[in-house]
Amino acid sequence: MDISIIAYALNLASIYALMAISISMIWSSIGMINMSHGATFAVSGYSAWYFSVIFKPIIFSFFGKTLLAQILMGSVLIGSAMLAGALCGLVIYFLAFLPIHDKPNYPVRSLIITLGINIASIQLLLYFFGARNKGLPKIFGFGRFEIFNIPIRYDQAGTIISTSIILLIMLIWLRHSRMGIEIRAMMQNPEGAAYSGISRRITAIPVLMITGSLAGISAALLSQTIFVSPTSGSIPLIKGLTIALLGGLGNVPGAMIGAILVGFLEAIVGSIQQRYVMFATFIFIITILIIRPRGIGGLLDNTRE
Amino acid sequence: MDKILEIHKLSAGYGPLRVLHEIDLSLNKGERIGLVGLNGHGKTTLIRAITHMTEWQQGSIKFDGIEIGGNRSFGAGRRTASIVRKGISVAPQGDAIFPGLTVRQHLHCGAFSKTAWNEKENRINKIFEIFTPLKKLEHVLVGKLSGGERRMVSIGRMLMEEAKLYLIDEPTLGLAPKIYSSLLNAIWSLNLKNSSMIIAEQNVGLLSKNVDRLIGIYAGKLRGEVGHVELK
Repeated sequence: MDISIIAYALNLASIYALMAISISMIWSSIGMINMSHGATFAVSGYSAWYFSVIFKPIIFSFFGKTLLAQILMGSVLIGSAMLAGALCGLVIYFLAFLPIHDKPNYPVRSLIITLGINIASIQLLLYFFGARNKGLPKIFGFGRFEIFNIPIRYDQAGTIISTSIILLIMLIWLRHSRMGIEIRAMMQNPEGAAYSGISRRITAIPVLMITGSLAGISAALLSQTIFVSPTSGSIPLIKGLTIALLGGLGNVPGAMIGAILVGFLEAIVGSIQQRYVMFATFIFIITILIIRPRGIGGLLDNTRE
Repeated sequence: MDKILEIHKLSAGYGPLRVLHEIDLSLNKGERIGLVGLNGHGKTTLIRAITHMTEWQQGSIKFDGIEIGGNRSFGAGRRTASIVRKGISVAPQGDAIFPGLTVRQHLHCGAFSKTAWNEKENRINKIFEIFTPLKKLEHVLVGKLSGGERRMVSIGRMLMEEAKLYLIDEPTLGLAPKIYSSLLNAIWSLNLKNSSMIIAEQNVGLLSKNVDRLIGIYAGKLRGEVGHVELK
């Protein structure tokens, strides 16, 4: 087995972790399974492409081929992706959360509405931009270097490092801020949450915007490795959903561990035979869910309501 | 005397069921009242109607001079968070705990205003002094606690906020006499200078001598003041 798959596995794991954590957070706070996360992913990828095409000549004519220009380019790319993701989050809030959040059958209805948003926005992207893949500028540059004899490409290293920083910030924020506690409390007992001064309608806005911008970051980072296309969000969506389930819906550290496990599994199986990747992943997830029905971080196993 | 709560012609219920029938009630600042009555006669519904948790309600509720009532036929709990933030602290019936959070996180949950959040550590220490058994259980998930400990967590969460009005719904529900008497003693010993309190309870003997007024509720209507009785 080739040792270089470690970098590949960590690269996959970081993209999956970003997707899974946002899906997990949305579920644990507002009780919605967000099927339109794939559309958020694709839309923010396209937004990053669009703004980088506009700003590329401007930046390079002002600063030339310097490090500063490279950094500016990267911040335009990631910033526009995050902004588009946050806007998508707002759209989901107004279409799929606000009108129905205190009506009966809310989980199923919101699932169907978000699935509709997903399909509609993929078709809109196809209509406006066509089916051709778009390549984004490489913000981490080309080339590779070695750590402990493991060859790592620049884009892989950039993805892994920036994802680790983002996830660390997210974990600290969820643990120590009032918002983190609100997010965990809201789903567990809506009545108790309301008596603790937590308003679902207000807290849902930052939750959906932050998770949307996380999807935007993962789109910008994945576009360093593969191309952007209208349907590029569907595989990350499916992987994110299953990993969020594997980690225990609503559990952020569990989702991280699940993402790392699945990333390594996919890299190892892929190095043996590429076509068994999906098969092996889902067998693995099903096995774990049979052994631990609440997922890896299953918090409520020994508690009673 | 300033009124903290003035309820005028309040009716409330669930679906086609009308539970409260045009209730009038007023509460002075710093007053403690006990609400006594049988099961199903509207004690909990009155407390839920003050915080907009019933399915529908009509009638005026003035809290500290601000109107928080009004007519409403849907959206249970939609305004609760903003009403609670005006200075009402609630320990609901059945505790409404979060099974996946620890005791400390519950107490953090209770501190929703800026000032309470900033001095949360001091307040948590005070609550651990009142409810000493919670000190050892600080980092245990509340879903693993017993009924009495859950009630302490629920009342502790209520006490995290310096409210003008505390609503406690059946603090003795489902607890053994030994446990609830110590819990009630803790509640009576609280030093709440400027805040009022409504306690809904079935056992008149537990409340008498400890509250300023005892009000009976029967079939959704208030039945005037009940005399204090001795607990034999």
